[in-house]
Amino acid sequence: MEQLTNLIISDRELAIISTLLNKLMNDTNATSAMLLDKSGQVIASQGTGVRRNATSLGALLAGAFSSSRQIAELLGEKDFRTIFQQGVRENIFTTMIEEQWLLVIVFDKLTHIGLVKVLSKKAADEMERILQRVRAETSQRKSSVINVEFRSSVEDTIDLLFRD
Amino acid sequence: MALINIASHEIHCKIVYYGIGYCGKTTNLQYVYKSINPHARGDMLSIATETERTLFFDFLPLDLGAVHGFRTRFHLYTVPGQILYERTRLAVLNGADGIVFVVDSQAEKFEENVQSFAELDFNMRRLGKDLSNFPLIMQWNKRDMPSALPVGVLERYLNRRRVPGFEAIAYEGKGVFATLRAISKCVITQL
Repeated sequence: MEQLTNLIISDRELAIISTLLNKLMNDTNATSAMLLDKSGQVIASQGTGVRRNATSLGALLAGAFSSSRQIAELLGEKDFRTIFQQGVRENIFTTMIEEQWLLVIVFDKLTHIGLVKVLSKKAADEMERILQRVRAETSQRKSSVINVEFRSSVEDTIDLLFRD
Repeated sequence: MALINIASHEIHCKIVYYGIGYCGKTTNLQYVYKSINPHARGDMLSIATETERTLFFDFLPLDLGAVHGFRTRFHLYTVPGQILYERTRLAVLNGADGIVFVVDSQAEKFEENVQSFAELDFNMRRLGKDLSNFPLIMQWNKRDMPSALPVGVLERYLNRRRVPGFEAIAYEGKGVFATLRAISKCVITQL
């Protein structure tokens, strides 16, 4: 059972994530690389291909992964962690990091899938270590962001915006 | 699970509208989309069949702007309501921070509503969450229908937890924003 209700990503961890994504993109010659939360939220993205539609892409990629995972479960798969979408121009390779994040690489036909698989596995291992640190640090950082004042300001904004 | 990104000063929360087929989940999102300040929303995405039934989900990103230096975003999703899409609903629920259970108030839909709520409870357990202490709001929709059951009856059988419930006529917009305000605040409270 998950104990945390949120994940707090610090500047330092985000910088490391961005560097990792950038390195993965350069090493595989991919067009874009993204790190998503399983809920579909974009944690970080690199590359020009996804920038404009990042929010929608995040929702769809996470939905597609989650849906494929249900298919795998129905087929009796025990450990389903990756999906590969083969397009005419662009391919997408998605790897799950623990049960929380998704590492997504978008690449064209100039890149070989084998290279993407190997290097994304390596990057996913490093992301896993980052995730563990983020989890460990979340509870101590929480009070610095989420306090009574913040909550009451958000509530005021909700009242202001969410109306006819 | 809400995501707080300190570097980019963003907070993201996911809210899922759950309920039976044709209960008005998509209508809720469509009303929010057309009525909210355009600066506060992104593009609405619908994965539907040719007959406009939701096949996978609808998605509407909302942006509260900066609050205490943090950009707060709510991502609204609907699940497909038809029975055969049970596994798809589970996929969309993954990572949710709050749930709106939309009830079709018509008497002939009563049993289906009860089954759908039981399925939601079961699906949450499959995801390792306990619905009994999870941010949840009820919406009693289709209050204008002649066969609508009294809210007291719906409350008794569908809202044992006694979470806040709102009467709605979603296509007219009645109750839509009251529901959205309630679930958003509930999510923020539990952050």
